[in-house]
Amino acid sequence: MIVPLGAYIAVSAALFFIGCAGVLVRRNAVVILMCVELMLNAANLALVAFSRKYGAVDERGSVFVVFVFVIAAAEVAVGLAIVLSAYRNRAVIDVDEIHQMSG
Amino acid sequence: MRFDFVEPLVFAVLSLGVIAAGAAVVLINRITAAALLMAFTFLCMAGMFVLLGAETIAAFQVLIYVGAITVLILYGVMFTKYGDRPYALFFQRQTPLAVVFVASVGIPVALFSFTFTSGTPSPGGGDLPQLATSVFTDFAFPFEVASVLLLAAMVGAIVLTKREGREETPR
Repeated sequence: MIVPLGAYIAVSAALFFIGCAGVLVRRNAVVILMCVELMLNAANLALVAFSRKYGAVDERGSVFVVFVFVIAAAEVAVGLAIVLSAYRNRAVIDVDEIHQMSG
Repeated sequence: MRFDFVEPLVFAVLSLGVIAAGAAVVLINRITAAALLMAFTFLCMAGMFVLLGAETIAAFQVLIYVGAITVLILYGVMFTKYGDRPYALFFQRQTPLAVVFVASVGIPVALFSFTFTSGTPSPGGGDLPQLATSVFTDFAFPFEVASVLLLAAMVGAIVLTKREGREETPR
């Protein structure tokens, strides 16, 4: 018995919803970045699952996963830099207390 | 086949780890524990990639997500020490609305996701040859653009976090 494609997609959708809920409900900016990473990883699982289950010719989906890795690394680097900058200026990290983004 | 039950069993364990740890990242109040649970989620996801036969992607996952991004997030946690606030969610007053929203969106998506059926599966033997062929032939230009993006992100992160030096005249 082989695990069907739908099971992988279901896990991916569940993790994406968890990350989306985290982005919506958490206040801490670092936790919000973590939840964005969870959402990106859920998308990666869907891409790899489709690529492996349909990819008799090539592995285009896995190539997109490589680019998602790059985007995720850049995003978390710049995001943490912005969070650290806001923390240094105002000593707040909760997004409901950062009312204005002016330095 | 004698080991028919192994793959679904491993998949069940890994999916339980992914979903439970992912939910704990959202629900737990301590930031360091949330970061480590995020790393555990990424490790379980790497196991899923191995189960799918994408060993190269699994290796990248362990190197980049479990290694680099988790360490970066932990550095962020370390540098932004913030006084403990009582754990609170944004939408805590709109709980019935949130339940309705999640039910109306999540349940159809969850049901729809099970309708996908597998096509012709990839041949065995790993994904490295196909991946390398695609990256360095058809996707060579986006690959170089991605490296430029990484360079720009690095410079941007340094500029954003650089402390203003003493030689800078006050405005």
